[in-house]
Amino acid sequence: MITEELKKADHIPAKVTEVVRESVINTFASICGEAPEFVDDPEVGSRPLNGIIGNIAVFNPELTFSLMMALPKDTALKISDAFLGMELPFDSDDMGDLIGEIANILAGEVAANIEKVGFRGQSSLPTATRGSDLTLFMPNKPPTEKMLFNSPCGQFMLNMAMSESK
Amino acid sequence: MSKIKALVVDDSKIMRSQVKRALDQLMIAEFEYEEAMDGEDALEKFNDDIDILFVDWNMPKMTGVEFSRAIRDKGYDKIPIIMVTAEKSMGKVDKALNEGGANEYITKPFTADKMSKAISRYFDDNGQIATGGEEEGDEKKSFFSSILKS
Repeated sequence: MITEELKKADHIPAKVTEVVRESVINTFASICGEAPEFVDDPEVGSRPLNGIIGNIAVFNPELTFSLMMALPKDTALKISDAFLGMELPFDSDDMGDLIGEIANILAGEVAANIEKVGFRGQSSLPTATRGSDLTLFMPNKPPTEKMLFNSPCGQFMLNMAMSESK
Repeated sequence: MSKIKALVVDDSKIMRSQVKRALDQLMIAEFEYEEAMDGEDALEKFNDDIDILFVDWNMPKMTGVEFSRAIRDKGYDKIPIIMVTAEKSMGKVDKALNEGGANEYITKPFTADKMSKAISRYFDDNGQIATGGEEEGDEKKSFFSSILKS
């Protein structure tokens, strides 16, 4: 049972990371028209973000995968244009709504694909956080994975954390 | 030609707009819209004048599947229910079909073309809701085919 295996793990297993990476690529390919490229950058996540973060979780009663999709302002603007055919004002409520919805679409893709490695979960409702000098950190130090992507809509990052459900 | 009254249920205003925009692009009927932001809100706004439902799954208060089931339990067996959702595992599709009583399942993000393939069969040449039931097997075939084409 993969859930038992995951609960004992001190890092997110590669097979889960790969599934999530594939899900990110599928999701943003369907929005931006071309598949984003994964960038192997050891410094990913160390730079403060000026932009917006879409937060969502894929969970079951035992384990939760938290997904934080971090988009710089320019990327968010281009994504709004690609998704809606018009650029939304960055500071608008609609931008938060859109980024939350994209997080929701990503979580749907992750939930469907992660089933293939034996984890059956469901999506939470999304939230979005906008700001400058945002730093992603995990106070309780659960296993995390940070991924950087270059897409036709611009660069973005996904931060994933795995923790026991409470 | 009378307008088709569609109830669009989604907690995202952006996605409600996207559904309406896609439907307006189809030219298969003339639509007027009622909107609801979750299943509870949709139950309050649902009435006998509604011709077709477009329903998100993942919403606060009452999910799209719970809302769809409630509509079927009220005896509305024929009204087309189109799930428009980010949930895409086959288990979820099966749940929407069997527990929710949905007729079609469209995954987000969607295009007008994807919407057209899923819902055209519910309209006649005059832009009205097509009458006459279909066999359950045909419904399931169409249902799964719209998933596979997504």
